Formats: sequence, structure tokens, C-alpha cells
Amino acid sequence: MGSEMRNLWLQWLSQLEQVASGFLQPLSAAHPLVILPLNIAGFWLALKIYRRTGTPILHPVVGGSLLVFAGLLLLGVDFAGYQQGSGLLYLLLGPAVVALAIPLKQNLVMVRRAGWPLMLGLLVGAVLAPLVAVVIALLLGGSHMVLVALATKSVTTPVALALTEQMNGIHSLAAGVVAFTGIVGAVFGPSLMRLLGVHDERVTGFTLGINAHAIGTVRALEVSALCGAFSALAMGLCGALTALLLPVLTSA
Amino acid sequence: MPSESKSWPGKALHWLLGAGLLLTFDFAGRALAASLSLSVPGPVLGMLLLLLVLMLYGRVPYGLGMVAEQILRLLVLILLPATVGIYFLRDLSGGDWFALIAAMVIGTLISLTLTALLLNHLIQRRARRRGDHGQ
Repeated sequence: MGSEMRNLWLQWLSQLEQVASGFLQPLSAAHPLVILPLNIAGFWLALKIYRRTGTPILHPVVGGSLLVFAGLLLLGVDFAGYQQGSGLLYLLLGPAVVALAIPLKQNLVMVRRAGWPLMLGLLVGAVLAPLVAVVIALLLGGSHMVLVALATKSVTTPVALALTEQMNGIHSLAAGVVAFTGIVGAVFGPSLMRLLGVHDERVTGFTLGINAHAIGTVRALEVSALCGAFSALAMGLCGALTALLLPVLTSA
Repeated sequence: MPSESKSWPGKALHWLLGAGLLLTFDFAGRALAASLSLSVPGPVLGMLLLLLVLMLYGRVPYGLGMVAEQILRLLVLILLPATVGIYFLRDLSGGDWFALIAAMVIGTLISLTLTALLLNHLIQRRARRRGDHGQ
């Protein structure tokens, strides 16, 4: 236990050191001082556009990533370089996930009142989301790699990153699947709920959290704090559940 | 929520305390996951741990609430590197691409619909039952 803590600490320190040394490298297109402003500018601009137009298809998740991608093409930076340049943002991923506990706590009374239907919905949703996707891909003749990547669909992005490290290989594909799924859910989710006649923000939030994870939670937080709280709860529980089940299933 | 009239050194101290708490629980979650060799990612465990502690404590400390609100507003920015990764996926055959995209779009819409309808049904049924008992 003690040595593991030490390892973890050292790991964290070396990650920090990597980020710091990234800044000390000679200036290039993939330098953090280029990539970080690019990220921030893409995010800020996308937010402006989204607020002005108000269409969910131009949600900052979509617009921002497209703008950053266009910037990377112009600069001629590949994904590895971009990832290195974005090191600081990767460091913030953990604390950001932890911060989801706050809207959760603030709306706990409402969560408690909803009770066991939520847990049942969670269980069904957590199994259903990857299952539906895998069945569709199977019917369309997707390869093994695609099927495994789709199986990680209902876990949140940081969770998927951790998981696929253990199941090796398809790291970027699984992360892409999770992010894309999140975008589909965030963009179409709330309108779909309205279409279905679901007006309960708790249901909307929980559904988004199960099916669209962190990106869905971002969208849910825009609807209301209550909606965001249910989404964060669903995301956390769903991530924990699939993270527990998936390695067991794939090793069998 | 505590009063807004905090002087800036006090505010900065609270902010640092809040940021420290987030880092601590991130770390604690990772440590717990590693020591029990759980495959649950550390930060998710950290979130559940923090929730537990906040439930016991009874309220959200001022600084923690402040930092959390700020970091959650930047969530899209923090997730950008993972999102941008999609556009760099090239090592797939054409058929695989089709299966993948169809599965993600149609699959997500189907599971969104089914989950929402199930939850809505369950919650409304429960609300009705409670209503019958005169609440």
C-alpha cells in the first residue's frame, strides 16, 4: 500500500514534470504555448458562435473540436504533438471529474427522492447502450476492433482512456467512440426528450449521463443544475459499473 | 451559500483550499483504485469519495463550490483533446467506418429513447403511488 502510494505520487510528479518540460522546449507549432492558446481560442470562439446561433449542432463540443482540428491542419501538427501540447488539460481531467461531486451533493435530496427507479434505469441503460451499438455493428459486419471499441461506449471519456489502457491497443478508437457518442447524445438528447414528451429534468439528466457521459453532462448542466446533478450521478455510477463489468466480460 | 462579502485574500485562501481538496480527492481515488487493484478509474472513485465526505460534512465548503463551478464551466475545454482525437482516426476500412458510425448514431438514439421512456415510466408510477397515499 505504501509503495503503491509512492509510485502513484511519482507518476503524478513525472506527469507534471512532462508538462513543465513541454513549456521549456524550443518554440514549434506543437509547443504548449501554441497548442494551449489554440485550444482556448477554439473553445471561446465556439462558445460565442453557439450562444449566438443557439443550435445544438453547433455545441462547443462540436464547434470547438472542429476549429481546433482546422487549426492543427493549418499548423501541420499531428495528433501526438497535439496531445503533448495539451498536457495541462489532461492534468485537469481528474480534478474536473471529482468536481462533479458538488452539483451532485447540492441536489442530493432530489436524487434521493427519485430512489430505486433510478438504479433500475441505470442498470438497464448501462447494459443497453453498448449492447445496442454492438448489435448494430455486428449486423453491419464490423470488425472485432470496432466491436471492442463500441463495448466501452457507456463509460465516460476519462474512464475509457483508463480502461482501454488495460485492454490494450484501441486507445484512440475507444476514446473517439466515447467522444462521438457523447456528441450525438448531447446534440440530439434534449430535443429527443421533448419529442418523446419527457419533461422531467431528472429523467433527461440521468438519460444523458448514461448515454452521453461527460459531454452529455456538460449539456445537462446547461439545462439546469438539477439536470446536471442527475447526469453526473448517472455518469459516475455507470462508469463504475461498466468499468467493473467490462474487464470481466472481455477476459472471459 | 455563504456571504459574498469576503475580502480577496480570504477568497484566494478559500479558492486554494478548494483546489487542494479536488486534487486530494483525485489522488485519493487513484490511490484507492490502485491499492485495491480495481479497474474503476481513480477520478470516478474520487468523485464518489468526495460526495460521501460532503454528505457527512453536511454542506459544500465555500472555496470548493467556487473552484468546482469554475472548472465545470471549462469542462468542454478540458475534454477538447479527447474530442479532437476523433478526426485523427484513419486506420479503419471503409466498411468498418460505416458500421462504426451507424452503430454510434442509431445506437445512441435508440438507447437514449429506451432509457428515457423506462425512467420516465418508473418515476411517474412511483410518484402516482405516493400520491395515492396522500402525500
